[in-house]
Amino acid sequence: MSEDRAVVTVRLFGPLRAAVGRSEVQVRGGGRSLRETLARFAEDHGDAVRRFIFDEQGSQRLSVILLLNGEPVRESDQVRVNPGDEVGVLLPLAGG
Amino acid sequence: MTAFSEDQTERYSRHIILPEVGGEGQRRLLAARVLIVGAGGLGSPVGLYLAAAGVGMIGVVDSDVVELSNLQRQVLHGTADVGRPKCLSAKEAMEGVNPDVHVFVHNLRLTSENALDLVRLYDVVVDGSDNFPTRYLVNDACVLAGRPLSHAGVLRFEGQVTTIVPGRGPCYRCLYPDAPPPGAVPSCQEAGILGATAGVVGSIQAVEVLKLILGIDGCLVGRLLVCDTRAMTFQQVPVARQPDCVVCGDEARITELIAYEEFCQMTPRRMASQEVAP
Repeated sequence: MSEDRAVVTVRLFGPLRAAVGRSEVQVRGGGRSLRETLARFAEDHGDAVRRFIFDEQGSQRLSVILLLNGEPVRESDQVRVNPGDEVGVLLPLAGG
Repeated sequence: MTAFSEDQTERYSRHIILPEVGGEGQRRLLAARVLIVGAGGLGSPVGLYLAAAGVGMIGVVDSDVVELSNLQRQVLHGTADVGRPKCLSAKEAMEGVNPDVHVFVHNLRLTSENALDLVRLYDVVVDGSDNFPTRYLVNDACVLAGRPLSHAGVLRFEGQVTTIVPGRGPCYRCLYPDAPPPGAVPSCQEAGILGATAGVVGSIQAVEVLKLILGIDGCLVGRLLVCDTRAMTFQQVPVARQPDCVVCGDEARITELIAYEEFCQMTPRRMASQEVAP
């Protein structure tokens, strides 16, 4: 399978799930960094979704917890995502 | 050692026969002091279960009045309470469940000026608030005062729960160093909440508080429980204390409470370049 056709599952939680309207989406392009995978996901879903994950300068926000196969990852540009991996994007929930 | 009355022996019998609780544990519950921030969707199940369990002193902080739209999930309040201060209906409901319980009403908004004094009056704190400034305020006050905190948040069918024990694991800022950009994360008013989901998540908080009081291990320290009650999945995310955390890190910059509304309006870049001044 070419890397561009390989698929990574991005699981969405909380406000991101509400914004996209789905609990998970498939993103093409395994073999990239986690950051690149998220950037591709954000490209597909518009500015409102991008704003959750990246700030105006394109840096990953510290208000998200990124998961790779269930384990939290802090440096998304240094982690490679492989085909079949599952990425999770957690945001804090304000509601009580 | 205070003996149980006949009524207490019967009331708490299902606790007392639990090896993890026993008579000693029940006495500990009766002597415990818990502060609940927010008498809403989370605070309601927490308050009712803590009262039923015999937690002797429960403080409730809330400055809102009961609205009809609250009643789908905020089970501390009834239809006749609409328009009344939530603190008062919460007190009546909890003391109605169990006369052993004394509920202290704090009909006020938690602020940087009053939070530390209030938190220090209690042994354990529960965050059932509904906004990010209060969540960071409660976290920082608990870290600075050294009080354990049960944190949870809910939206739609989802919830997140963790237990913060200062010095033993990560705090809320270790999980989420920055608040989301203003307006990005919708409230339950904007996006909805299944009432019973708040009940599930608040009940988990109540279990955590009881375990903290009883000294039972297995609390959600260093773990974020992510609950999806639509798919009915419960996922644990391991979370670690961050040595660079601004409030519980090795060189913490927040040593007294700050301006939380402003903090939550700040962009991360400004935050990074500015001193965190009280």
